[in-house]
Amino acid sequence: MRILKLQLPIPPDVMASLKTGDKILLSGTLYTARDVAHARLCELIRQGQPLPIPFADSALFYCGPSPTPPGKLCGAIGPTTSARMDPYTPLLLEHGLKVMIGKGPRSAEVQVAIRSHGALYLACVGGTSAMLTACVVSRATFLWPELDSEAVYRLVVQYLPCYVALV
Amino acid sequence: MSPRLVSKGQIQAATLSALEEIYCQPEARIIELLKSARANETEPLAMDMLDAILANAELAARDRVPTCQDTGLLVVFAQLGTGICLEEPGLREILGSAAKYAWKELYLRDSLALDPLRGQIPGTQAGPTDNSILPLILHLEQVPGDKLTLHFCLKGGGAENCSALRMFAPTASLAEIGGFIVSTVLEAGGKPCPPVLVGVGIGGDFELCALLAKQALVLPRIAAEQDGALLAWEQELLRQINAKGKGVQGMGGQTTVLDLRILTAPCHIASLPVAVNIECHAHRSTSRVI
Repeated sequence: MRILKLQLPIPPDVMASLKTGDKILLSGTLYTARDVAHARLCELIRQGQPLPIPFADSALFYCGPSPTPPGKLCGAIGPTTSARMDPYTPLLLEHGLKVMIGKGPRSAEVQVAIRSHGALYLACVGGTSAMLTACVVSRATFLWPELDSEAVYRLVVQYLPCYVALV
Repeated sequence: MSPRLVSKGQIQAATLSALEEIYCQPEARIIELLKSARANETEPLAMDMLDAILANAELAARDRVPTCQDTGLLVVFAQLGTGICLEEPGLREILGSAAKYAWKELYLRDSLALDPLRGQIPGTQAGPTDNSILPLILHLEQVPGDKLTLHFCLKGGGAENCSALRMFAPTASLAEIGGFIVSTVLEAGGKPCPPVLVGVGIGGDFELCALLAKQALVLPRIAAEQDGALLAWEQELLRQINAKGKGVQGMGGQTTVLDLRILTAPCHIASLPVAVNIECHAHRSTSRVI
């Protein structure tokens, strides 16, 4: 198993060299988004509005963090089931989404769309929140705070362990 | 003989101590199953992931961080002794207010949609009107004796979503029933965070078979269950699933299922209900006896 330390944004030549099963220690900026945030992002696209998340430089993390206790940088983070985002993913890929982090399989349509857009789907190990949370360098509420754990949070991470699932 | 009073305070203390115990560590038997899965693993990727899961279990317990960011819905199986008298306003409200307090105290994630239809039909909110009470899934049974036993489980959504129920014809063969159980787990792939636990309920009716499947995950095995024939079938189904190599997180490996348990109940001569409830490896469950 290859282990690579990568910084977002991942250069195209590095992206092209990745193989399924590679372990990535990922550093950079992630934006969390679950079901409702995905529906809202797609609604913005349909209305012709600009996308608030800079997809080119970051990764979308399918995650709803737990609340941040006092004295900590961030509540528990970890991947939620990616398949629930499948209906929204092709449209986001058309609008510049490059890297997704989640867990579990993707639909046939999403697999095709990921390959045709030269995108990357990384899997994190679910149920390893203590380990993943220790990689968080900073956390800020970015969009739609009224959604609570389903809001979009901007997380800066260092050496977040994930695995190449689709490339 | 006058009934023994179990106070609100006793139930609140038991709830808080149970949730404090489980939000940051899986049941001890799960750690043992994970260690043996690691010892039997041959795929480097699966070995690495199992190491991560085991290292996380230690780190989470040490630093008091949730094992998983999805701290789940609270499911409680309560066995209430006939010799017990409970305080007002009753078990659901007492547990619900204790859970609300614990959620805040332990910084657990609010994973509840009070309105399951998410506002598509206004007015469908199904939660309690008193927002100091956390809605929970409570199963109450009366048993002989003067003890109150509470089995707590924090049940995550990802694994629950992969569960299934089918009403079979009463003449269905073991192969058909087993096939349904096996294919439910295999079709879930990496979605429920394998390696998983599988609870199966067979018999009863539509809702009882689902309840049996959940009991198979949460309640400790009992002596009367040591039916050699059923245990052998459980092992056979577990072997069949693991032989398909879905593995840790569905990315390949020797162990997709850590444990599979079947509970049965009498059913109608026209029916053969079967439910499969899936639980992730973070399995957060414990018991308290008051």
